Amino acid sequence: MVLIKIAWRSIWRSKLRSAVVIFAIASGLLGGLFSSAWMNGMAQQRVKNTFVYEIGHMQMHHPEYAQNRDVKKTIKETKSKIEALKKTAGVKAVTQRVLVTGMSATANKNLGVNIIGVDPEQEKQVFQIYKRIDSASGNFFATERRNPIVISRALADELKAKLKSKIVLTFQDYKGEITGAAFKVSGIYKTDNNPWDKMHVFVRNDDLRRVLELPQDESHEIVMLLDDFEQAAVIEPGLQVKYPDTKVEGWAEISPYLSLMSGYMDTMMGLFMAIILGALGFGIVNTMLMVVLERTRELGMLMAIGMTKRRVFVMIMLETIFLALVGAVIGEILSMALINYYNKSGIDLSFVGEGMESVGYAAITYPMLEGFRYVQITILVIVTGVAASIYPAWKALRLHPAEAIRSL
Amino acid sequence: MSIIHIINLKKTYHDTEIPVHAVNGIDLTFEKGEFTAIVGPSGCGKTTLMNMIGGLEQPTSGKVVVDESDMSALSSNELIDFRLRNIGFVFQAFNLIPVLTAKENVEFIMQLQNWNRKEMDERTISLLKSVGLGDKLNSKPNQLSGGQQQRVAVARALASKPKFILADEPTANLDSTATNQLLEIMEKLNQEEHITFIFATHDQRVMDKARRVITLDDGKVISDVTKA
Repeated sequence: MVLIKIAWRSIWRSKLRSAVVIFAIASGLLGGLFSSAWMNGMAQQRVKNTFVYEIGHMQMHHPEYAQNRDVKKTIKETKSKIEALKKTAGVKAVTQRVLVTGMSATANKNLGVNIIGVDPEQEKQVFQIYKRIDSASGNFFATERRNPIVISRALADELKAKLKSKIVLTFQDYKGEITGAAFKVSGIYKTDNNPWDKMHVFVRNDDLRRVLELPQDESHEIVMLLDDFEQAAVIEPGLQVKYPDTKVEGWAEISPYLSLMSGYMDTMMGLFMAIILGALGFGIVNTMLMVVLERTRELGMLMAIGMTKRRVFVMIMLETIFLALVGAVIGEILSMALINYYNKSGIDLSFVGEGMESVGYAAITYPMLEGFRYVQITILVIVTGVAASIYPAWKALRLHPAEAIRSL
Repeated sequence: MSIIHIINLKKTYHDTEIPVHAVNGIDLTFEKGEFTAIVGPSGCGKTTLMNMIGGLEQPTSGKVVVDESDMSALSSNELIDFRLRNIGFVFQAFNLIPVLTAKENVEFIMQLQNWNRKEMDERTISLLKSVGLGDKLNSKPNQLSGGQQQRVAVARALASKPKFILADEPTANLDSTATNQLLEIMEKLNQEEHITFIFATHDQRVMDKARRVITLDDGKVISDVTKA
């Protein structure tokens, strides 16, 4: 207890020197944590956007569909499957999609697109593309008219199309014949992923089914939204057994990039903080060496009157850890405040928004750091403190009490 | 009753080309309750002798036996523990832990020995009162005068009920008033509580108070006078 008291009070002996070290640690952590939160926020947003706009949490296809996206490789009896899936524990919502790859054409230009036939009401339960259509850009199949199409702003710009423009879609039908139909733009959406936007158009699945001559009760894809996306790997095996005529895949298999990104972020953050703390560690070593040098006589006196080497070692180590922890706590509080502020207001990078969206990231990012990261950092700081104290403490142990007391 | 036996004690330093015989064959005995000054010119071996009596330095040859324990036979850790339990130290300066109050400085030794809180509080307050600092319990060393700091150091040296106290030039940094106060307190503790004090000093006032004066020169005892 007395060692804790001495170590804690000793930090404040040289207030300026301790303040410099504390400021260095606090600012290092602030920079590290805020950058990590920023990267983490971008990655989380990217993951979330991929779920709600692009792939959902879990998908079901014909086992051979992925090989060449053949329109004939459909899931049969989709209606009963969907009803059963809706009742599966952990599954929040289910939708079916008719998929085909084709060409979109206006009078100005032709472009290859993935055509997604959706059931608008079911689709809204799983995907949120409908939320990315602003009030001046139409709607998500609110019209009763035949052959409406929802395209992206990026594609509309390329095709020079606007609301109510006619777009002709051509593709191979169920029998292998080239077929096509004219659609009228009823909505223009925009997500944060420009390349994806350009490649995807939405039509009603009944309209697409009719042109494709696809039998009723067949679809190419069933997409599920789960209560918790992390349960995908748990739910998937059961569904695969239950529906052996399909291939069930969780988000990590559909988009390995997403799970890779999550692991990559963890590694990056760990590495980033290790570099920052490593550099700070050398500063702490330097400060503590000065402390030992300055207190040679005092340490000699303590050893002379009966303080064991182990206690001297612990005292120096505690002082180093306290010094590092004070900096860490200040740095973490500042980081928390800054991260929470920008988590609400967002960091607006609209001036490079086009560039960000071209690689799938939103122009406004929301830094985010989970609570356990702060605990991890605190543990890392303590480890740094312990490591940084070893050399100065070892120097202190080498002091000979009789010589130390006589030293100037 | 003798508490310290010094038998043919020698200490030679080989730091320079010519070996320095700081202590060169000293035989001494100290009885319980002595108030003794070891005196002599600078470099005569006073501090080296004190360090060996206190177990801070190992002799080149010879023995220091305290209460039948040969200190040269103790390991480094045993020696630390021996010092903690048997010897009180008062140094010339930089005696106290600057971040602790007077009371905490005195308690420090007892905390190292795991005393219980109640006993520790009682003894600390009583010791500080006995050195005339009952009203300075919560003062930090920088709030005390040099003399007051040395009195706290005496109280701390007494804290663990040591067999004897070694005081190396305790008055060197004090003015005459503080020196007199300190010496009176130590003399009183010696006379009333039979605490053994051994001083290394240049100070005539300490020599005057001492009942036994041992004079060293070139590492040897040249006189050992016990006053009547």
